[in-house]
Amino acid sequence: MESNGILLLVAVVLPLLGAPLVALAGRGLGRRVGWLAFAFPLISAGTLLSLAARIGLPGSEVIEWPWIPTFGIQFSFLLDGLSLFFALVVSGVGVLIFFYANFYLDDHYEHHGRFYCYLTLFMAAMLGTVLANNLMLLFVFWELTGLASFLLIGFLHHEEKSRIGARQALLITGFTGLLMLAGVIMVWLVTGTYDLAVLLGSGLPLAEHRGWLTAAMVLLLLGAFGKSAQFPLQFWLPNAMAAPTPVSAYLHSATMVKLGVFLCARIFPLFVENGLWAPLLTLVAFTTMLLGAVLALLANDLKAILAFSTVSQLGYLIGYYGLGPAHGVEYDYLHILNHVFYKGCLFMVAGIVIHAAGVQDIRQLGGLRRRMPWLAGVCLIAAATMAGVPGTTGFLSKETMLKEIFEAMNGHGALGIYATTCVVLTSLAKVAFSFRFFANVFLGEESEAVKKNFHAPPPAILAPPLILAGGALLLGLWTGPLDALMRGLAVEGLHQSAPHLALWHGPTTELFVSLAVMLLGLGVFVLGQRTAWRWAAIPRRLRFDEYFETGIEHFSKFTKWLTRFLRADKPVDYLPVIIAFTLCVVGGFMGYALWPSVRESAGAWTWDALAPHPVRSFVAALIALSVVGVLILRRWTTQLISLSVAGFLTTFYYVLYRAPDLALTQILIEVVTLFLILILLGRFPRSSELGEIIHRPSLARRRLNVVLSLGVGILMTTFILWFNAVPHPDRIGRFFTERTVELAEGRNAVNTILVDFRGFDTLGEITVLVIAMLGGLGLLMRYKRTPEEYQEGPMGPPGLGIKHSERREEP
Amino acid sequence: MQIETALLIGALFGCATYLILQNSFVRILFGFVVLTNAANLLVLSMSGNPAGRHAPIVGSVARPLVDPLPQALILTAIVIGFGVTAYLVLLLYRIFLDQRTTNAAELYEDQDTSEHT
Repeated sequence: MESNGILLLVAVVLPLLGAPLVALAGRGLGRRVGWLAFAFPLISAGTLLSLAARIGLPGSEVIEWPWIPTFGIQFSFLLDGLSLFFALVVSGVGVLIFFYANFYLDDHYEHHGRFYCYLTLFMAAMLGTVLANNLMLLFVFWELTGLASFLLIGFLHHEEKSRIGARQALLITGFTGLLMLAGVIMVWLVTGTYDLAVLLGSGLPLAEHRGWLTAAMVLLLLGAFGKSAQFPLQFWLPNAMAAPTPVSAYLHSATMVKLGVFLCARIFPLFVENGLWAPLLTLVAFTTMLLGAVLALLANDLKAILAFSTVSQLGYLIGYYGLGPAHGVEYDYLHILNHVFYKGCLFMVAGIVIHAAGVQDIRQLGGLRRRMPWLAGVCLIAAATMAGVPGTTGFLSKETMLKEIFEAMNGHGALGIYATTCVVLTSLAKVAFSFRFFANVFLGEESEAVKKNFHAPPPAILAPPLILAGGALLLGLWTGPLDALMRGLAVEGLHQSAPHLALWHGPTTELFVSLAVMLLGLGVFVLGQRTAWRWAAIPRRLRFDEYFETGIEHFSKFTKWLTRFLRADKPVDYLPVIIAFTLCVVGGFMGYALWPSVRESAGAWTWDALAPHPVRSFVAALIALSVVGVLILRRWTTQLISLSVAGFLTTFYYVLYRAPDLALTQILIEVVTLFLILILLGRFPRSSELGEIIHRPSLARRRLNVVLSLGVGILMTTFILWFNAVPHPDRIGRFFTERTVELAEGRNAVNTILVDFRGFDTLGEITVLVIAMLGGLGLLMRYKRTPEEYQEGPMGPPGLGIKHSERREEP
Repeated sequence: MQIETALLIGALFGCATYLILQNSFVRILFGFVVLTNAANLLVLSMSGNPAGRHAPIVGSVARPLVDPLPQALILTAIVIGFGVTAYLVLLLYRIFLDQRTTNAAELYEDQDTSEHT
């Protein structure tokens, strides 16, 4: 346990901590920093392999450190077949990609340190996500992958399409991630735990909390759909291809977009019994699959073809879990591994081609087999795997898929027929664009663009795609290791005992369908070649990203309109809105929540209790009268006098409330305030005062002001009456009066509170005064004196250099 | 029950709101001063009806005292209220020097015309 924990930390946390160091080292090392970063996936892959060996699969182990135990959130990891499979794919492909990137990112690129920092961060986040046992931890890592993806897509941020692609990816994956968080919390509310191992062990109370858990499932699946670019959110993935090719190969085909697939696999045992699971997954995923395949057939950009085919394949993988029987699926690892092999390989091939030829439009490419024969061979294998040609893992994947789909057709009725149609049509399109991809890049005549731009890539860059293509071919022919892998990594609840894989199943329906699809696909390909793919263009109606961008634009216009509508850019007009809103919310709340308690306390509202105190009433009336004077009087000085009268009368009110300290302070402050405002009024021009009397606000506005003021007044009165209706039985003030002599050596409790019990508050108060003083000083001294003013003497005219005598006459 | 205090505080808050909603700098400033007093009285009312109680100064004879905590809070609030008032006075003065107006609405009218031209 102890040493396993250390191994796990090395695999996950070491790259997380190492990422900033890579960025730092990049400043000195330049592009060579890639080899330093290369160590991280190597270390992670090695430690994960040794962990897998130590756990004794198909067992599982939970490794846990406390994080926020109060909320049931632990730094907890679940090591079982599924998580280790994904973790090994992530780190294994990581090794290849980091190697590849070292050759791909040559000196034309800048900021190598930053690039490898993001890439390392991404890998660590991925490992954390797939290994996490606590759903909250899973969410944190999940969003971290989205963040790293955003940084990597926008790596070439001087190009607009990178920025747009990065923004779309962040908005979609981030928003759906938040939906997933809501789902996680809903699961927690029902079960009281975030712990996956516990949940998988005990299952969910699906029957008791049907509606609630269905909502949670839909939210979790929405998170998966966003991350895995499922319909109708599929558009962000092709736009994410603006990133450098190693990123596209790593994040947007082999690993990150598979997180949705991973999540579906992880929660499969929890939710598969739910009635909505199969229809939701099947409809969304198989629709995505067909749409992606059609768009891949219509696309002309090398990376776009691969991106849409990735979208299609992700639909295939997710839909597979949707149709899976309740006692478990069989070949999911095969499908995932197959996709990793060919898609990672094809992306790297595309990257090498783009790098070497300088163009990425498939119509401008061709004849590269003479210049790069090895690459042509690798690409042929990968394209054949994508098409599902016998002898590759693609063939195995397609055969098993067809077989299960035919079985599901019996079980799921209409859903099964829909899925079958989609799978057959998709396979057909896949055959066609696989051949197109290979033939139009490597066969035929060499195009002008290639002749002009070609420069040979370094030979070592070929190694990673070669390894992947080799894997596809080798495992396609020799199925023993795949069998062992699927059996060894099987997870209880998710998998049924995997039957034997074989190249030759005999003359089954699948085989004939497969052959027919292959022939028809070739037909489409030949047709395309004959017509030179002139019809290949993505129709605008299927470009959902345009709708999304328009939506974003309209949203920002709407917020701007709302701001203007509420007059938030004009404080004078906005203040009534704020006050009215506060009145509605606070008043509404008081009416709704407090009215019952007010009614209960109505017994206390006898005449005796309500009888006003005569002296206090007299003083209160005087204060109110003088404040109303401020409203009615027109000259500033008379208003000020009225205000001061109110202030001094408040002093008396304090005395009536047995507060001698307050009364003293109030007198002093009132005097100083009077002088201060008097000085200010002396500096304002008389014309302004007269102008105020003449230019009054409109009648409607004055009425609104009166209504709002009355509302505030009534609200405050009600508030105090309600509060005082039920006195608190145990006042905190009693403590101070009882202990002031003993603890603070002072008889006046108010004084001891200020200087002793709550001394730091007083310090804060003094600090506020100092800040106000400094701020006021800054306001006065901002005026820059002219040379003439400067010559009038060191102090200049009154007002720290401000000649107000002149200014008074100007307006 | 302190019905007269409740009514007084309501009146002060209402008047302060009305003053702050005006366009004139001077009236806004007065509104702020009234608002400070109203808030202080609001806290004071929380110490309960003072009838039959004494100032919170502990003597040799045990007798009922009013709650000292609201008073301590208000004492701080009065001083801070003064600090903010002083800052507001200087701020209004500064705006007047820069913009040559004592009318808040005029500040934004100028802004509008400069935006359109």
